[in-house]
Amino acid sequence: MSLESVLQQVNDLSISSAIRENVNAFPILESLHVLGLAIVFGTILIVDLRLFGVAAHRPSAKRLTAELLPYTWVAFVMVAITGLLMFMSNPVSYANNTQFLLKLVIIAVAGLNMVWFHSTTYRRIAEWDEDMPPPIAARVSGAVSFILWVTVIFLGRWIGFTLETLFF
Amino acid sequence: MSISAFGEWLYATSVSTELREVTWIIPNIQTFHILAIAVVIGSALVTELRFAGVLATDRPAADVLRRYLPWMKVALIVLLLTGLILVVAEPARTLGNTIFWTKMALVAGASLVTLKARKSILQNDGVTEGENPPEASKALGWLMILIWCAIIFCGRFIAYT
Repeated sequence: MSLESVLQQVNDLSISSAIRENVNAFPILESLHVLGLAIVFGTILIVDLRLFGVAAHRPSAKRLTAELLPYTWVAFVMVAITGLLMFMSNPVSYANNTQFLLKLVIIAVAGLNMVWFHSTTYRRIAEWDEDMPPPIAARVSGAVSFILWVTVIFLGRWIGFTLETLFF
Repeated sequence: MSISAFGEWLYATSVSTELREVTWIIPNIQTFHILAIAVVIGSALVTELRFAGVLATDRPAADVLRRYLPWMKVALIVLLLTGLILVVAEPARTLGNTIFWTKMALVAGASLVTLKARKSILQNDGVTEGENPPEASKALGWLMILIWCAIIFCGRFIAYT
């Protein structure tokens, strides 16, 4: 089965056509998507800046991360679900949109950056938990994460201006 | 001059026309608008959840507020400036739109509460330091989170009405 036919099958699902045909569905999905990404980026920003050496509301980087990460993840799940539903409403166009594909790649890179940080510098966090400035590896990780997430939001907004909205 | 006449005049100005015709301006302005929204939401979420007694309860509420208030101020200014450019580009879509004015009222209210009422906590933080905020402040914290959510919904729906 080709990718083309899979995309067409997704397009023909009843949930996909329901999103296309209900005038309020897409703006509601977009609003939830923006709300979710604001929480994802807003909380990540606080942690990124702390890793970079900008003080947050508590001295311990470990406690700050543990405190905010649950909110980031819950919001990320909401962003992923609403994003998937928007994709399903018009899969062929999204799959052919450069900004959309690039956005997915950058999100994956941001995920890898997080995995790398958690499996290296974060393991030794007891040694630098309240240090200011934090070690260079933590500062690099925070800066890289910040740049990647800003790029994701930038690409996301550009999808809305470049997507071919041919529904039928 | 009525609002709609003002909107028509604004639409016809060369600045407004330029903003619409140079295709990369609006998407990039909107991107900065969303980045600033994320800064406000992140800061407000932590601050208001602290007031609600959910987050960072081991830290004085005044300290948490003092940390994030400057971020919110800067982000609100960015939102105002980028928002102004978006209104100049599309006056009919915004100035004649009930949802737009609802959003403006909510933003004004939320900003006022954040910058004035919440700030009063900083003035007498000698008394409240380390203590839990009163019940009224807790309820207000939840209400503020709801208002910020409503503002985001209004913002997105402006494009569809």
